[in-house]
Amino acid sequence: MMYERLPDEIKTVLENGVPAELVSCSMDGVPNTTVLSQVYYVDPESVALSFQFFNKTVRNIRENPHACVLLNDVEGYAAWILKLRYDHSETEGPVFEDMDVQIEAIASATGMTGVFKLKAADIYRVESVKKVDFEPAPEG
Amino acid sequence: MASEGAAGNHRGDDSSSGATEVSVLKKISSEINATLDRDELFDTVLRTLDELFGFDHCLILLLDETGESLEVVASRGYPDSALSTKVSLGSGLAGVVAKRRRMVRLGGLSQQRAYVSTIRREMEKTGRSNELGSAPSLPGLADVESQIGIPLMVKDALIGVLLIESAVKRAFSERDETLVSIVANQAASAIKSASLVRELTEAHGRLALLNETLEDRVRERTHELQRTNRELRDTQAQLLQTAKLVSLGDLVAGVAHEINTPLGAIRANADLARRAAVRISAALASAEQASSSQRDSGIPQALGALDEATKTTLVATQRISGIVASLRNFARLDESERKEADLHDGIESTLTLLHHKLDGRIDVLRRYGSLPKIVCYPNRLNQVFMNVLLNAIHAIDDRGTITISTRTEGDHVVIDFADSGRGIPAENLEKIFDPGFTTKGSGVGTGLGLAISYRIVQEHRGFMTAASEPGKGALLTVRVPTTR
Repeated sequence: MMYERLPDEIKTVLENGVPAELVSCSMDGVPNTTVLSQVYYVDPESVALSFQFFNKTVRNIRENPHACVLLNDVEGYAAWILKLRYDHSETEGPVFEDMDVQIEAIASATGMTGVFKLKAADIYRVESVKKVDFEPAPEG
Repeated sequence: MASEGAAGNHRGDDSSSGATEVSVLKKISSEINATLDRDELFDTVLRTLDELFGFDHCLILLLDETGESLEVVASRGYPDSALSTKVSLGSGLAGVVAKRRRMVRLGGLSQQRAYVSTIRREMEKTGRSNELGSAPSLPGLADVESQIGIPLMVKDALIGVLLIESAVKRAFSERDETLVSIVANQAASAIKSASLVRELTEAHGRLALLNETLEDRVRERTHELQRTNRELRDTQAQLLQTAKLVSLGDLVAGVAHEINTPLGAIRANADLARRAAVRISAALASAEQASSSQRDSGIPQALGALDEATKTTLVATQRISGIVASLRNFARLDESERKEADLHDGIESTLTLLHHKLDGRIDVLRRYGSLPKIVCYPNRLNQVFMNVLLNAIHAIDDRGTITISTRTEGDHVVIDFADSGRGIPAENLEKIFDPGFTTKGSGVGTGLGLAISYRIVQEHRGFMTAASEPGKGALLTVRVPTTR
């Protein structure tokens, strides 16, 4: 199923730490995949991705603002593919604060304070959303 | 389908779910505000969150007095050991919520932990282990999947954190967050009120206890001060008397020495003169037989007068010697230590020194019994005799008698000083040993004599008593044990 904007049902997926993979690509066509800590629902037309570790992704996005996020929602028997375009980065404001406090809470509970931290909230415009439903595995 | 969270159980369509939630919140509000007992309030908050929303793992943590950490004050769904656990500000979800004063809702925590573990392993592989810390020990579920942490705020001030957890994935929705935040706001105000009531009650209790004990403490302190004051006055009086005695001792020693030297010369001369007169007299008697012409020369009469004079001089010098001996005996300057003494000697020495005050108007009757020598401070007991006898002399206005009786009763030496003076009124009789009590008027008596005497006798493990009938004189009795 295709959407032009983020549907409401994706909120639950984004809020519950579904593993997300971010795919970016350099100008010369070399792709890079990395795992994201957070994909934050900003509004129906944009998401914020947590910028923590990935230097290669930053380089790629500077050259080529197009990116793709894959969410494997095992609980919901579905996968979501978000086509995005980088817009800007925020290091303050409500979106950054919300993401930062969540990451700080996880970091402090796992002994990763000071290491696992948010450098910026990267805001991406949503270009398209695709939901792929899975068939539940037969029981037994 | 994703779950809609625990509160979703109470919702149907939008309009009916809104009505249900309002009704639930009203019920919670009314229950929360029905009590001002803190523990009861905690129980109400946690019970209603469980019963109405199905939140069965909840903790209430309050900021402790240091303001640096939270303490678990109530829990539901956890073992009792969770209670009183401390959580530093910034540690775990509750600590971060308190530090940042922001509500936080977390989901998919097993995924987050797995992600963090991957990063840790990568860092360890690349030699960055030193940057990694260890996970703190925190109250809560070990296999937690979903959490909501809400700061409990009252007028912009943090008082604690409400922490709700679940081991179920996607347990809490955005709507749950909103509902719980409303409950948390109500709970924060109620907890603050209950805490204030508790503080007031405790303060009132402390105040009441203080009031109860205050009177007793004041009374006790007053007694203590009175006792200290009395002891201080006694000590001062004793010091004064000791100083006086030392001065008197110095005086007596000086006088005795000054008198003794010329006295020796006088006595020697008088003796010499008397013997010379005897010899002259004998020579003259022989010559008289040879020459009767000298019979009318008047020399025998002159010699007789010389003899009389020298005899009188000898008697006088013996009298002075007696006074000097008494002075020395009274002060006992060479006997400041405890020693065996005859109390009759002390009484007699004192009487000698008071001879001029007796002045022929007061007769002293001695009814001495047989007294053993006792080990005592003789000079101090002499001071007692002096004080008692001076009081007796002052009590006799014109002529009168002082009767001194001594005897042994059991293991005590008893000395009665009875005078025929004015006597002591009954109301004064029990006060006469109190320091400062006097009937002699300002500038006449210090009121310390009998008090000090009493103390001295006490120090000898004895005691003094007084008896009197107005107009019939007084009887002061000193009792001192014969052995110490």
